[in-house]
Amino acid sequence: MSELELRTVAVGARPRVATVRIGTVLAVAFALYLLLACLVPDAVAPQDPNQIAPRDAFSPPSPAHWFGTDESGRDVYSRVVFGTANSLLIGVAATASGLTLGLALAVLAAFGGRVFDFTVNRTIEVLFAFPGLLLALLVIVIAGPGPVTATLAVGLSTAPGYARILRGQLLAVRRSGYVEAARVLGHRPRRILGRHILPNALAPLLVLATLGIGQAIVWASALSFLGLGALPPTAEWGAMLSAGRPYLATAWWLTVFPGLMIVLTAVASTVLGRALTRVRAREGATQ
Amino acid sequence: MPALPSRAARRALLPLAASAVLLLAACSAATGDATGTTGTAASGTPVSGGTLVYASGDAEPDCLDPHVGGNYPQALIAGQYLESLVSIDDNGRIIPWLADSWEMAEDGLTWEFTLRDDVRFSDGTPLTAADVKATVEHVQDPATGSSTGYLALGKVAGVEAVSDTVARFTMTAPDSALLESLSQPWLAIESAAGIARGLDENCQAPIGTGPFAVDGWVKQDHVALVRNDNYSSPPADAAHEGPAYLEAIDWRFLPDSASRYAALQAGQVQVIDNAQPDTLAAAASAGTFTEIDAPRPGASNRLELNSGQAPFDDALVREAFIRAVDVNDGIDSLFFGTAERSYSALSSVEPLGYSDESLFGTDLKKANALLDEAGWSEKDANGIRVKDGQRLSLAFPVSTNQSIPAEQSLFEQVQATAAEAGFEVVITPLDLSSWYGALFTNDYDVVSAPYTKVGPDVLRILYHSDSITPAPSGYFANLAQLSDPELDSLLAQAASSLDADERQTLYTAAQKRILGSFTVLPLYDQQNHFLLSPTLHGARAIGTVSTPSFYDAWLSE
Repeated sequence: MSELELRTVAVGARPRVATVRIGTVLAVAFALYLLLACLVPDAVAPQDPNQIAPRDAFSPPSPAHWFGTDESGRDVYSRVVFGTANSLLIGVAATASGLTLGLALAVLAAFGGRVFDFTVNRTIEVLFAFPGLLLALLVIVIAGPGPVTATLAVGLSTAPGYARILRGQLLAVRRSGYVEAARVLGHRPRRILGRHILPNALAPLLVLATLGIGQAIVWASALSFLGLGALPPTAEWGAMLSAGRPYLATAWWLTVFPGLMIVLTAVASTVLGRALTRVRAREGATQ
Repeated sequence: MPALPSRAARRALLPLAASAVLLLAACSAATGDATGTTGTAASGTPVSGGTLVYASGDAEPDCLDPHVGGNYPQALIAGQYLESLVSIDDNGRIIPWLADSWEMAEDGLTWEFTLRDDVRFSDGTPLTAADVKATVEHVQDPATGSSTGYLALGKVAGVEAVSDTVARFTMTAPDSALLESLSQPWLAIESAAGIARGLDENCQAPIGTGPFAVDGWVKQDHVALVRNDNYSSPPADAAHEGPAYLEAIDWRFLPDSASRYAALQAGQVQVIDNAQPDTLAAAASAGTFTEIDAPRPGASNRLELNSGQAPFDDALVREAFIRAVDVNDGIDSLFFGTAERSYSALSSVEPLGYSDESLFGTDLKKANALLDEAGWSEKDANGIRVKDGQRLSLAFPVSTNQSIPAEQSLFEQVQATAAEAGFEVVITPLDLSSWYGALFTNDYDVVSAPYTKVGPDVLRILYHSDSITPAPSGYFANLAQLSDPELDSLLAQAASSLDADERQTLYTAAQKRILGSFTVLPLYDQQNHFLLSPTLHGARAIGTVSTPSFYDAWLSE
């Protein structure tokens, strides 16, 4: 313990450690707020997000409406709160489906033999040639707009990235000393895969997922912004941005607040992902 | 594709300099009462030369020949290089254009149009009756794929060139709307030689008699128009004679509303169309630009309720919907006072339009009572009414190409207010082709589909039961699916009636039946706002389908 402290002091890293900690605390706090907004939006939001009041349209932020009102007089703060679940759900579900598909491809490539490895790798390379968002758009054009297709589309377009990382991880673990030792000890392949390779190869998944959620939320918002995700009157951050865009010059609060939520969520999720990486690295170092 | 305008409309030309009171008065007038030419021509002597840059927010046409298909974006630009046999002045009267005079036989079955003998096409060839014949044949040829022009010529059996200057139309039945139909840009006269080049070439650069000619078209960028120095055929209400003042028009496509206004403010363009409500409000407070508010003729912007299938096959449910929905506050706040609520199936510029505000008062109590009476008396956990296990759910496909953002927001308010009576309105924003797809497959209960046509004959296209039968393209105009033999008979009589008083009586009776059927919820005129730079003078919207004319226009700097 004292040795560790000594080492940090020696590199002069204490101030940095302190700032990181504040960032992490803020990120955790924000994540908790988001969780609350997701689970009990009624408790967090002052109003029904779809309650229109055309006569109160375009009111700037005030004590009555913290984030102002939108073009139909709906409370922007309430819509931002209720939009959390929709936006996060798309982000989380998209990341989950992307990871699942990526994992399937990676396992196929790493253990399926040369032909599979070759095929999967070339497929991944072809998919990489398309920018991710373009790939998602292509999926939506084929499957039609809607929140479910938007989720799958984002998931599908992130899958190649996950597949490549996981394949590398699986291969590295397979060639590691302890797997070789297990093999020498005569463990059966299935046991080696289940007990040694998968747990060790998949440990970074959590970090990867946290980092991925931020991006998935941004992409899902982009799709909603293009009118390809959430359907009206559903409160969703990207759709809110899109609806507020015509009034950017006259009613900034329609776009700034949902935009800020997207940014903060992506930042918080990235900060948490990094923190997890550091924790893992420290665990690795102490092991 | 009928003239499926996206946005808007108004014949009156209103100088911003004029008082706001005057502006409101003109907006509410049934006939255009502000004159077209005084709008921006007020100051100074016209100067020749210069290039006008026009920024269009409407869709870029697929084909510059408005005979093909026939939509509003085509009409906007075609008005610069094509002209019609007749035009309409600011008082709604038919006036001579390429035809000097015309005469209808007593039985209404033949019409003779006498053409001006001094008109040349932009390629230098003279205009003759053979070109009129070629134009009508081109529009009626199924291979051309005309929709709007084709429907308007429904009663024309053929055209004969009696002499170089006399064209004789033979009709299958008297057509009281013939002159109105022929005034439209979708039936503008093109050169027979130009048409003979074939569809593809003609689409690139149709040859007409207009003050400008197409010089080139860079797709998804701009169309270059140059002055037609042979020009000699201004309509009877133009302010000068001879070629146009402007040397050229650079017709640009700039879909983003904010960018269009920014370009106007920066002086990069001198005219923008499809100015949005918030832009108009900003421009009005800046006071720099002149606005032309020119509602399109034909139908108003309205919601059509599909009476062809449940739940709107029940008139009680239709009336309940119309009583439940509240749009007035939304129109005020979303359109910043630039659009006025309509209670008519027809545009406010149509002299024969009939309004009845009493049918459209919001009354939630009555809506609930009507739904109870219709058997939708139970509600599910979400407050949506249920009958025999079916939810009172309405499909509302919205074309994001045609409905401006303010209108889409208004539809969300329709959704919210209808919900209070227990309707579930499912709004699906769709691109144009998916939207057509939803209509073709009858996958809608509520829809907004504006239709532009000169004159009340648009009612026949929109509400005659014949229009429920899809055209070969799949499109049908009677989206309310109104099938009423008595209405059919009124509309058919009105379209054949050559007596003005009788025509008015018949159209009024027809509109009463249409509005009374509760298949229509009128919203406002088809909005059509232009903003003009202070350096541009003499521009106006012409009285036919409210497209801009730059023949008298000139640039002061």
